[in-house]
Amino acid sequence: MIYKKNRYRLSGMLAAGLMLMAGCTDSEKVKKEQYYVEGYQLYTTYCANCHSDDGKGLGDLYPPLNRKDPLPPKALFACIVQNGTSEKIIIDGKTYERPMPANAGLTELDIAEIATYIYTKWGQDSTYTSIHEIKSGLTNCK
Amino acid sequence: MHCSFQRTLICLAGLISASFITGCTGSDSRLPILGERETTERVVVGGKTVTDTLYHTIPDFSFIDQDNDTVTQQTVEGKIYITDFFFTSCPTICPVMKKQMLKVYKSIQDDPEIMILSHSIDPAHDTPAVLKKYAEELGVTGKQWLFLTGEKEKIYEIGQGSYLVSAKEDDNEAGGFIHSGAFILIDKNKNIRGMYDGTTDEGAAKLIKDLKKLKAE
Repeated sequence: MIYKKNRYRLSGMLAAGLMLMAGCTDSEKVKKEQYYVEGYQLYTTYCANCHSDDGKGLGDLYPPLNRKDPLPPKALFACIVQNGTSEKIIIDGKTYERPMPANAGLTELDIAEIATYIYTKWGQDSTYTSIHEIKSGLTNCK
Repeated sequence: MHCSFQRTLICLAGLISASFITGCTGSDSRLPILGERETTERVVVGGKTVTDTLYHTIPDFSFIDQDNDTVTQQTVEGKIYITDFFFTSCPTICPVMKKQMLKVYKSIQDDPEIMILSHSIDPAHDTPAVLKKYAEELGVTGKQWLFLTGEKEKIYEIGQGSYLVSAKEDDNEAGGFIHSGAFILIDKNKNIRGMYDGTTDEGAAKLIKDLKKLKAE
C-alpha cells in the first residue's frame, strides 16, 4: 500500500516535471507541430486524392497547391474547403473549372490543421493557423 | 463519395496467394489465367478421352469512345489491354487511379500492341464530349487510351460479370456509385491475366512489370 502511494506520488511528480519542461520549450512550437502532423493526415484523407501527395494536382484536371501563384487568403481557403466551389480559377496561367466538392464534415479545428500543413509546406507560413482565423473566415463565406 | 474497393482487396488477397504458389515453379513462369474455368471431355481418334480446359474469356461488347467511335472486340483484336472503371466527377479514388494509369500509359505509349480501356460507370453524365475533355485535361490524346461510355447496364454487366470487379450504382455511397480500384490485364486471347491495385504505386509498378512478361510470351 505504501509502495503504491509512493508510486502515485512519483508519477505525479513526473507529470508536473514534464509540464514544466513543456512550458520551457515553446508551447506555440509544440502546437504548430501538432497542427502540422494532424493536418498532414487530414490532407492525405481529404485532399490528396485530387491535389496529390506532392501538392502538384493532376494534369489540367485539378489545380496544384504547390505552385508559383500565392495561396488564397485564409478566409477564402476556409470557405472553399468547407463548402466547395464551382468557380473557374486560373493558377500559374492554367485554367481549372472542375468543381471542388464540399467537406461539410470537417470541423474548424480540422480546417485549421489542414491550413497549417498546406501553408507551411507550400506557402510562406512559419506558424500554425488558428481556429479563430478559420472561424471568422467561415462566418463571411459567400 | 466513397468508392469502395473491398472486393478488389479480396481479389488481390487471392491473387497474392496464387502468385506465391506460382512463385514456387520458377521466376520466369507465365502469368496465371484468372477467373472460373470449366473442363470438357472429348473423344479423340482412337477412342481415347482427353480433357480440355475452357478459361474465362471476355465476351463481345460494344461501347462508344471519347471520339464517338464504336469500340468492340475488334478494336482490341490481337492486342493486350488494361481496363478499369471510373467516372469523371468522382473525387475519391478515381483521380489516384488516373494518376497511376498515367504512369502505365507513359510506359506503353506508342506501343501498337497495348491499349487501355477506361469505362465510365456514370454514362448519363460522362458523354463522349465530357470524356474527351477529361482525357485532354489528363494529357491523353490519340487512340491508345480509350475512355468508354455506353448503355449503363452493359457497362455494369461487363464489369461485374466479365472483368470480375464491382461497378454499380449505390445510393448509400456519396456520389452515388460503388466501384473497384482495380486495373485488369487482358491478353490477346481475351483471358484475364492479372489484377492490380490501381490506387498505389506498387500496383502500377507490378502491372508495368507484368506487361513486359506478357508481351514476351
